[in-house]
Amino acid sequence: MSEVKPMWRWPWRYRESLLFTAALIAGGFAAQLAFGPFDFYLLRHPVNYILGIVLTALILLSLLAGDNPIVRWLSGAYLVAALLAGLLLFTLIMGLTPQLPGVAPDGDIFIRLGFTRMTTSWPFVLLYFMTLVSLGLAAARRLRSPGKKLVFILNHGGLWLVLAAAGLGAADREQYIMHVREGEVEWRVYTDDQQVLELPLAIRLDDFDLEEYEPKLAVIDRHSGLPQPEGNPALFQLADYLTAGLTEWRFGDWDISVEKYIAQAAPSGNGAYSELPMPGASPAARVLARHRDSKVIQAGWVSGGSQLLPVSPLALDDDLILVMTKPEAKRFVSRIKVFTRNGREEETALEVNQPLKVENWQIYQYGYDNKAGRMSTYSSFELVSDPWLPLVQAGLILWALGSLGLIYQGKGKQKP
Amino acid sequence: MTWAAFNWLAPLAIICWLAAAVCAVRRAGRLADLFTVSGLLLAAIFIGGLWLGLGRPPLRTMGETRLWYSFFLSAAGFLAYKHWQYPWLLIFSSLLAAVFTGVNLLKPEIHSAALMPALQSYYFVPHVTAYILSYSILAVATIAAVVQLKKLERGRPDLKLYAFMDNVVYIGLGFLMLGLITGAAWAKEAWGHYWSWDPKETWAFITAAAYLLYVHLRLRGASPRLALWVLPAAFILLMITWLGVSYLPTAPGSVHVYS
Repeated sequence: MSEVKPMWRWPWRYRESLLFTAALIAGGFAAQLAFGPFDFYLLRHPVNYILGIVLTALILLSLLAGDNPIVRWLSGAYLVAALLAGLLLFTLIMGLTPQLPGVAPDGDIFIRLGFTRMTTSWPFVLLYFMTLVSLGLAAARRLRSPGKKLVFILNHGGLWLVLAAAGLGAADREQYIMHVREGEVEWRVYTDDQQVLELPLAIRLDDFDLEEYEPKLAVIDRHSGLPQPEGNPALFQLADYLTAGLTEWRFGDWDISVEKYIAQAAPSGNGAYSELPMPGASPAARVLARHRDSKVIQAGWVSGGSQLLPVSPLALDDDLILVMTKPEAKRFVSRIKVFTRNGREEETALEVNQPLKVENWQIYQYGYDNKAGRMSTYSSFELVSDPWLPLVQAGLILWALGSLGLIYQGKGKQKP
Repeated sequence: MTWAAFNWLAPLAIICWLAAAVCAVRRAGRLADLFTVSGLLLAAIFIGGLWLGLGRPPLRTMGETRLWYSFFLSAAGFLAYKHWQYPWLLIFSSLLAAVFTGVNLLKPEIHSAALMPALQSYYFVPHVTAYILSYSILAVATIAAVVQLKKLERGRPDLKLYAFMDNVVYIGLGFLMLGLITGAAWAKEAWGHYWSWDPKETWAFITAAAYLLYVHLRLRGASPRLALWVLPAAFILLMITWLGVSYLPTAPGSVHVYS
């Protein structure tokens, strides 16, 4: 056995790293109780620019320090293990505690320590910052032999860039929801504290269109309203009727057959439905249900209804009712024209997963009037401006390359 | 193909995998290979057929991801077994693949064929496959850790097994991080932000941090027992991320809770 190194003599190892991390967390709690949550708006530009430059410069300067034991410890696996244990502890608390980002952290000690707003709690922010320092130093040290340590540099440098740009850039990020009525132009949004804010760009909504999936048939219990069998409900996909020509459905003792299906229908008297293509129409199906033992037959039209039209169920017996589910949204598209203060104009069909970039704003299809569905008279958009995004994206790409390197070489040549 | 075919394909695959495990116990290598490959083929036929039948990749519902999990787990265990020659690798990976297929028979969780708009993206397939691959590989690492802990108890740790475990964790972690990165890129496109600390994201972070802790503990002579215990613990966190988040007190409001 080698001689035990006295505490706090260099090089520092696990004990010193764990105590340092514990002290960091204790200091964080003290700051949290003294000053309240960490205010990210303090980092607003130009503060974050300066901090970013100073941090990068210090990390690069560490290269001049040679084999300094402090730099070695700060960038080494001992401290990283302790910091990761700390981050694990706090993110576990965060993963089990409902987070209330908009609520001021007043109340019992659990709340005052910042556990319900973990990302703005001082211990978490300090751990994040130390991880940033350690990651940066670790990547920088390998820059001396970039060829041999490429995968290491990509993983640590990429993650460093992501964490640095995300953390420092958080305060410069703007995000708003804008509701625009069909045929109107809007440039105002509400901020979190319900103030009206005018943006340097306006959106005109020319048309909103919603496509829906074919609904399903289900059998519910008249008393509980729950789809049957409870827990694992049976459903008949009307999409199968249309695409595969499926018409028969066996539900318990009932043989149910679909005789006709109309995607856009409206009642035409006597409980019957006929085709009527208009925004307020609803899908309807004519079904015939036959009980296998009693030979009882129930026939009629079933429809899920819409904002304009009533629901039309079909009672099978005293307990069971055949119903049509509300259709789920398949695709929603807003035809919009965007105007910027600088005189740029852009027209597009905006949909989910296909945002539009205009100057430094990204515009997302966000939502619509869910109750009205296809009859929605407005569409809402999310507008995001995030000047630090390109750095985050660059970091993600480097990090992804590093991950591929990890998959390719395993631990093999991956000595630190 | 629809889920109806699963009722007869799945029992066949389960029989193949159980037979492979028995053959591996009996050290009947050739037969074990044959049964494993048959099980994999049956799983692949069903996944491919279901993909065609649904007209979309079957990667959305819990039941669908479990299909891939069984397939990749068996494949990863088989490849690692062929390379490292540990029979227990094939035994456990085959048993686990059979268990997850069995879970799908008893509790299908297949739900509807509809894909909500936020899920209609070219990030969908790489994101979910990277995660399922990594979950399968990390399951293999967990088995190895438990085996090594047993050996350590008897005072005879297997040095080759340490090298195996570390390699498997590095590869699994590589896929785990790819899943996370593609997820971040997708979230930016669908929801406007690459990271919002949504419960599923928080738990993905926790899982990644736990495996990073193992990796960094293994670099400097930390207690082997402690490092080994991190792997099963990390795997429990992984399972919570994958299957458990919907049941946590933090779940309401998560954008990752689908059907």
